[in-house]
Amino acid sequence: MQRSVRVVVRDPGLGQSRLTVFFRALLALPHLVWLVLWSVPATIAAWAGWLATLVLGRLPEPLHRFLAAYLRYDVHVFAYLFLAARRFPGFLGRPGYEVDLEIDPPAEQRRLGVLFRQLLASPAALLAIVIGSGLVWFALLAWWSALARGRRPAGIRDFTAYGLGYSAQHGAYTMLLTSRYPHAGPQLTLPSFELPPHPVRLRMTDDLRRSRLTVFFRLLLALPHLVWLWLWSIAALVAVVVAWLVALALGSVPQTLHRFLAAYTRYAAHVTAFVMVVGGPFPAFGGGARAYPVDLEIDQAAPQRRLVTLFRLFLAVPALILGYPLALALVLVAVGGWLYALVLGRVPEGLRDLGAAIVRYQAQTNAYLLLVTDRYPYSSPALATRASSEEPAPSLAVATS
Amino acid sequence: MPGDLSLPGIDVGATFGAEHVAKAKRYERFLYADWALAQVALLVTLVLYSRRGAAFMRESAAGPIGTGMFLGMLGLGIVWLVLLPFRIAAHWWDRRHDLSQLDYLSWLVDDWLVLAAEFLSICLALLVVMGLARWLGERWWLPGAAVFVGIAALFTFAVPYLDFTTKPLRDQTLLVAATRYERELGLPDIPIRVEKVSGQQKLANAYAYGIGPSRRVVLWDTILQDPFGPAEQKAVLAHELAHHSQRHLPKGVAWFALFAVPSAWILMRATRRRGGMGAPEAVPLALLVVTVLQLALTPAGNLVSRRMEAEADWKALEVTRDPDALEELMVGLSNTSLGDPSPPLWTQLLLGTHPTLADRVAMAHAWAEASR
Repeated sequence: MQRSVRVVVRDPGLGQSRLTVFFRALLALPHLVWLVLWSVPATIAAWAGWLATLVLGRLPEPLHRFLAAYLRYDVHVFAYLFLAARRFPGFLGRPGYEVDLEIDPPAEQRRLGVLFRQLLASPAALLAIVIGSGLVWFALLAWWSALARGRRPAGIRDFTAYGLGYSAQHGAYTMLLTSRYPHAGPQLTLPSFELPPHPVRLRMTDDLRRSRLTVFFRLLLALPHLVWLWLWSIAALVAVVVAWLVALALGSVPQTLHRFLAAYTRYAAHVTAFVMVVGGPFPAFGGGARAYPVDLEIDQAAPQRRLVTLFRLFLAVPALILGYPLALALVLVAVGGWLYALVLGRVPEGLRDLGAAIVRYQAQTNAYLLLVTDRYPYSSPALATRASSEEPAPSLAVATS
Repeated sequence: MPGDLSLPGIDVGATFGAEHVAKAKRYERFLYADWALAQVALLVTLVLYSRRGAAFMRESAAGPIGTGMFLGMLGLGIVWLVLLPFRIAAHWWDRRHDLSQLDYLSWLVDDWLVLAAEFLSICLALLVVMGLARWLGERWWLPGAAVFVGIAALFTFAVPYLDFTTKPLRDQTLLVAATRYERELGLPDIPIRVEKVSGQQKLANAYAYGIGPSRRVVLWDTILQDPFGPAEQKAVLAHELAHHSQRHLPKGVAWFALFAVPSAWILMRATRRRGGMGAPEAVPLALLVVTVLQLALTPAGNLVSRRMEAEADWKALEVTRDPDALEELMVGLSNTSLGDPSPPLWTQLLLGTHPTLADRVAMAHAWAEASR
């Protein structure tokens, strides 16, 4: 589906100059100062645009151009600062930067929607703030990684582009550049981004429908599952210690232990999906495969590298750090989905998909920690899995609402 | 307590104050109406849920027992929602009469936490019943009842060890009195603890709990304040210790066993048409059956409870030898809780876990007469 505000990632390469990475925050300083200065007339223009749109029913062309350039520049600056882009951006917000923003020309807007625009935008603003704060964590890890390896992790780059896209959608909506509400769905925002093959994959058959009653009591209904998950986690802790010792000695986790830990990982994902309103029905207690609409496909046990096994806990630290802002976003997804479903009996597709992507990331992190796999979790918000090859697609046209 | 004890009549207006009695009756009349309407709403809700509740099975991806738990929790949730206006009305009434200082939000949070505990309890209960029913078929009811009696006994024994909210009693006068009462009642040293409730409500209360080594007596801090003096506080203490000396808590578990066995059998029979308790479809009906059984058995349970309370009062009189203190205690309790000293017979049968305040004062008079 074509969205009226689109992020276009023109440079699919992940390589970065270590020197510019090291000084990135300082290099971005003049841009940040310029952005702050620019935001003063942009704020005045936004208010003028609001009044004009209330009267005329559409944002006047000169104001649209000015505000679009400001928003585009904002995306350029933060893409550079957060290491989603490689090259130093220009100061005028002109199109053509490697992480760019495309905005449709002005269109007719309903005056009632314009009148209450700031109020209507406040839920999206909350999510934009949480995602934006999360991008700082992603940027810090990307910084370390780029310094060490000379390239950014693809998953982090994807998530940063997604986050900038969502913030841009929110900005465009509040500045009346579009009347389309920000869409949180990763697969709509990033149609070209795909996940590399991974032994732990999301399998979703959810139909967005929610029973209002089970949504209202969602947290309380989850109580027996939380108790059971806690009891199960004690057993899982013992199992993982045994699995770790065996994997160190034999180079792989025995099938029985693998099955047990995989079921635990799957069950934790089912429960999380249920609590966070990402999934609809009350989950089963066994963590069986294909037992829930937001499910995991987990491959059979495979040989694991002993060195990775030995330092698994330390290696998982970056993934756990990324998990923190994602967990915050998931809570917001849950609150938003909960309120929406209580009123309409269904969850918004965008929020559900973002939630599902976070559940998948958390499940991959759990699987990595629990020795179900030695493949590192992939932080991209994409849902679709690429058939083969770990490299990202050559051209990444990113559509955001 | 003498089996042939007949209570003398007392002048309720003169003892408790005519104006206060009228006010207490007005206060309780509202609560009785609220309670009666709530029971009607409860039964109607559960009848509807027993017919339609199974439709919610499509909202569960769990197996039969998990789905049964889900339906059980959902039923309790619906009941909670339906009864919420009645509980809010009762809380509003308490606040209006200055009996509760809890604001509505805190009250709602507390109510929500109680619901959370109920959700977990019903899950445990259904896990036992449905697990046994799927294993033993229709013969589940006897071992099922035995398991519930075991859980009740374990719960009664263990709960005092899970109490982290009370503090030891510091009042030396009361502690000395407690030691004397324990000796006279043939009890070992029973820990006396204090629970802080002032700031939330004005009601005064005390309770005995635990079995064997876990026995405790807990006094609400409101009973250690005005209008209750040392003599009344000692009467309360003796009353609660008497519950332990008369083994009322293990006897309560035994009474529960007596009710649980036939109740389990009735439940088995009633749910047979829905596939028995092993099938999740039977859970909504089971909720209705259990509620009806509880309502039907409440008068009998209250009768047992009133008998035990009267026995504890009598024992307390024997060790305190102070009938005036018991009378003052009852007057004080009526004043602080706006309790009607002589409520209508039907409310006493359905809701009265203790003898009426008037009867308890009459018992103090009877003891004084007998001891002359």
